[in-house]
Amino acid sequence: MKALQIAATGMKAQQVRVEVISNNLANMSTTGYNARRAEFSDLHYQQIARAGTVNTTDGAVLPAGVQLGLGVRSAAVTVALQQGSLRETGGDLDLAIEGGGYLEVQMPSGISAYTRDGGLQRSPDGQIVTADGLALVPDITIPGDARSIAINAQGEVYGYFDDQVEAELLGRITLSGFANSSGLEAIGSNLFLETAASGPPFIADPGTDGVGTLRQGYLEESSVDAVREVTELIEAQRGYELNAKVITAADQMLGATTQIR
Amino acid sequence: MDNAGYTSLTRQSGLIREMQAVANNIANMSTTGFRREQVVFTEYVQALGGGHASISMGAPRAGFAPEVQGALTGTGRPLDLAIEGEGFFRIATPDGDMLTRAGAFVRSPDGEVLTPDGMPLLDGGGAPVFVPPDAADIAVASDGTLSADGAALAQIGLWQPVDTIQIERRAGARFALAAEPVPAFEGAGRIVQGFLEASNVSPVAEIARMIEVQRAYELGQGFLDKEDERMRGFIRSFGR
Repeated sequence: MKALQIAATGMKAQQVRVEVISNNLANMSTTGYNARRAEFSDLHYQQIARAGTVNTTDGAVLPAGVQLGLGVRSAAVTVALQQGSLRETGGDLDLAIEGGGYLEVQMPSGISAYTRDGGLQRSPDGQIVTADGLALVPDITIPGDARSIAINAQGEVYGYFDDQVEAELLGRITLSGFANSSGLEAIGSNLFLETAASGPPFIADPGTDGVGTLRQGYLEESSVDAVREVTELIEAQRGYELNAKVITAADQMLGATTQIR
Repeated sequence: MDNAGYTSLTRQSGLIREMQAVANNIANMSTTGFRREQVVFTEYVQALGGGHASISMGAPRAGFAPEVQGALTGTGRPLDLAIEGEGFFRIATPDGDMLTRAGAFVRSPDGEVLTPDGMPLLDGGGAPVFVPPDAADIAVASDGTLSADGAALAQIGLWQPVDTIQIERRAGARFALAAEPVPAFEGAGRIVQGFLEASNVSPVAEIARMIEVQRAYELGQGFLDKEDERMRGFIRSFGR
């Protein structure tokens, strides 16, 4: 009775869907988080009777075959890269990216990671780092005596000092863009790594090449739409139950079979 | 010859197949672009001769996939494409070109437009669709014109099979064809960007059919049971 295994693949798929939804809901307040969605694909088909088979001696062909599918599998978990709404924080190192680019940071291992979480901080020696202490690339250091800093949409970081009128250019934040941003590998802590699927990053100044512009004093909110997730959750739960019903029905059919002597 | 036994056996094995089709439809109720499969029972009539009535056996010998539009669900991703109306996307696979209505595409680092498992999407002329890797703003018009940053780049084609009989279902909500597909009629379908077409399985209808199949199966088993008893009785009475 293949219906049992087929329904089991269906239950597994719906379970993956619930896991993806629960992760989305858990991250509905994570800065710069993008909602994920589970994609499914049907499995192979058994060709019980091939369409077009010559059926009779006068050459008439079967008008339609019988093809029985073997269930479902999860094909991909895609990221819907959407701009989250911007929340004003007033922090001078809070940056929101308006556009598709990523900030590049240096991991302790030396490789680069990419993030859209612009909640940046100052390290004890004045370096601009993420909340986890990873240094921004290119490295920008803010002198300890800077009164305030200003970051413009093009990524230029200016420092204001007590002893001078003109602002001093301290450095420029660049953004990295990818041909296929949904191919990036998420490693947690709002960080992503480059993969063969994402392609190499192209580094550009904010405002050029479609990487987007920066906005100081704002953070990008999670793009999770709670209403939509809950609707999907209901669908997934009912889908799970429907598949379970198929298992019960198939089991009862098997039970009826065993009762014949 | 145990005609009663054989006739109900044919029915029972057919019902098990139908149950498999129902289970597969329900398992794929969340598969993008999936088309529900339905089996059709046909009669196989055998003349018994000698003035007896002929017997008829019912077996699932045909199937069809109803072309009912699935609901469109908004995703907001630029390369999620749904077809409203008729037509299919044409994709190149190692097993030859296939048609599909599952329109979740991604961009490769080289700029190819691919299905999530890496099969290129073909344009109206049968050539792969390319988008420059640094293109930021992708728009797809309802006639399939793909433009990036305001410049038209390609025309995503809608296709249809010539021969609607020789279609084989393949994994990934795809259809393999015996003959080359042809471009769909002008205006038969339109492409909607940022949406995906959900599976056209109706859970209510499937569950109703499932209950029907299950009860029919139990009925058949009951009949086999009675037939078994009848033969035992016969053997008991005349076998002494």
